[in-house]
Amino acid sequence: MAQKKAQSGGSLCTILDPRGQPTMVVQPLPLAPRLDTLQDKTVYVIDVGFGGGWEFLEEAAGWFARNMPAAKIVLQRKKGIMFVDEPEMWAEIKQNADAVIFGVGG
Amino acid sequence: MASARFADFAAQDAQNHGMKLRFSFPPYPLVGRPREILRKYVEGKDPISGRPLMPQVIEALTRPLSEEEKHPKTSRAAPRPRLLKPDTEENLHQLFLENGWTDGAPIVLPTEERVAHMLTGTAADPTEVVGRMSVTIHQEKLEYTVEKVAVNAVMAGAGPEHLPAILAIAASEEASMPSSTTSFGRMAVVNGPIREEIGMNSGLGALSPFNYANTAIGRAWTLMTINLGDARLGETFMGSTGNNMNYNNMMIAENEERNIWEPFHVRKGFKKEESTVSFFQGWSAVNSMGAAGCCRPAQEETLIMMQAFPCLRGALTLIMDPLVAKHLKEQGFDHPDQLSKYLSEKFRMTAGQFWGSDVVYSLVEPDARSGIEPYASWLKLPKDSLIAPYTSPEKINMVVVGGETQALWLTTDMWYIKTVSIDRWRPKSWVYKEDEQAPRRRYARRKRHAAALNASGYDPQ
Repeated sequence: MAQKKAQSGGSLCTILDPRGQPTMVVQPLPLAPRLDTLQDKTVYVIDVGFGGGWEFLEEAAGWFARNMPAAKIVLQRKKGIMFVDEPEMWAEIKQNADAVIFGVGG
Repeated sequence: MASARFADFAAQDAQNHGMKLRFSFPPYPLVGRPREILRKYVEGKDPISGRPLMPQVIEALTRPLSEEEKHPKTSRAAPRPRLLKPDTEENLHQLFLENGWTDGAPIVLPTEERVAHMLTGTAADPTEVVGRMSVTIHQEKLEYTVEKVAVNAVMAGAGPEHLPAILAIAASEEASMPSSTTSFGRMAVVNGPIREEIGMNSGLGALSPFNYANTAIGRAWTLMTINLGDARLGETFMGSTGNNMNYNNMMIAENEERNIWEPFHVRKGFKKEESTVSFFQGWSAVNSMGAAGCCRPAQEETLIMMQAFPCLRGALTLIMDPLVAKHLKEQGFDHPDQLSKYLSEKFRMTAGQFWGSDVVYSLVEPDARSGIEPYASWLKLPKDSLIAPYTSPEKINMVVVGGETQALWLTTDMWYIKTVSIDRWRPKSWVYKEDEQAPRRRYARRKRHAAALNASGYDPQ
C-alpha cells in the first residue's frame, strides 16, 4: 500500500526511526537431558502461583495417579511470587527430582 | 505449562532467555473454573497443538533432544538504522500507524530538522545514552539516546521547552504502561520552578486536556513506552482491558502555590527550587464526588473510599484540591505525615476481603505461606476478623492539584515509586525560551484566576 502511494507522487521526506536499540546478545541454554521413561521416576510439579494453577495441577497429579501410578509425583507450590527466581527451589529439584513440570503460566 | 492464551508470549519469553522450551498449553482461563472443567482440561487436548495434553507433557519429558535443543545458537536482534527509508508524508504516517509506533492519533513526523530543533531544549549530547526500558521483564530492554527521546518528543507534538522533563522521564527508565494482564496505570507529578517556566497546569482542570505542556509531556511518555519500551499489543503488552490513564499518564504539576503543606518533592528530600518529576503506579482512582467536610470530614470519607481497593501493596495516593488540604489542616493534620499515620491506623478490612482478591492471592499469599509476618498470622484468622493492612504510613502519599472550585479529592491505589531531577537535562540557558507570548498569556490567565478567587472572598489561610 505504501509503495503504491509513493508511485503516485508527493515529495519524499527523511525521518528518524523512533524505536530503541536492541543491544542484548542472548546466550543460548541447552535443554536438560530427557529421560527414557517416567516409570519409577520422581516428577516435581511446581505451581508458580497464578490463580487456578494449583487446582489444575492437582488434577494433573490425579491424572498421573490414574494413568501412570509408577511415576512418583511431588506437587508443591513455589515459595515466593511467580516473578522472583528461587535458586534454592532449583537446587532442591536438581537434588530430588528426575524431571519437573513447571506451571501454569498466565 | 502455560495457559493457551499466552502461548506466543511464553514461547517468546523462553526464546529471549536463550531457551527453546517444550511447552504444553491447557485451555484458558484456569482461574475460577470448577473442578470438573479443570479435569476435562487435563483429560482433553492442548488447543495449540491439537494433541492430547498429558501424553504430550510426558513426551516433552522423554523424547530425546534435537540437535537444536542440544546446541542452540546465539541470537541478537539486528541494530536499527538511524533514518527510515525516505517516503512521502502520507506513506510515513501510514507506516507508523501500521507498525504500531504511535498511540493511534496523528503524530508529528520526526524529520531531522524538527529533531534538531527539539534538541535545542537540552544541553545534553544527542548521542548520550539516556537509559534502557521494557514494558515487561520477559523482554530485553531497549537502549536509547537523547536523540531517540527527542524523536518521540517531536512525535508527541512537544516543544523544546518540554524536553528536559521528557528526558528526566526517559532517564527514570520507567515505562508508562508496564505490561500486566491487570492493566496498570501511571501518574507523574512535576514539582519545582519548571512547572511555571514551561506552563504546566497544576490548577483548574489540571487532569483534563486543556494544557499544552501536560498533554505533550504525558503523550511523549506514552510514545516513549511504545517505541523505547517496546510495547507491542498482544506481544509484549497484555493488559486485558487496558487502562485509559495510559493515554496521558495523569501528567500533572503540583499546585505548590495554593498548597497549605510543603511541596511533595520537598517531602521526598529535594530542595524547593529543584525541579523534579515523581512517579506513581496503580490501577484506579475513586472520586469523592462531593465536598470535603460537607457531611463528614475528608479523613473519615477516605476510610470508606479505601474499601474499594484490595490493598495489594499497602499503598495509597490521595490527589486533592488545595481546599481539601486546607480542610484537613483545620481537622488537625498540620503535616501530611499525620494524615498518613491516621489512615494507616484507622483503616480496617476483614481478613476474608483481603485474602479474597486474586492479586493478593497471587502476590501476597506466598509470603504468608513462607511465614512472613504479619501475613502469616492474617492467613490463620477467621474471615470476619478485622485487620489493618496499610501497615506502613510512609506508603500513603498526598499530592495537591486543582483549581479550588470544589473541595474534591481522588483516592487512588497508586504506590509512589521515585522522584528524579529534571534540572540535569536543562539547556545551557537553563530555561528554553522561544516565544515570549506564551509566558505572558499564562501570567494573564493566572492573574484572572487569582482575581476570581479574591472576588469570591476565599481566605487562603
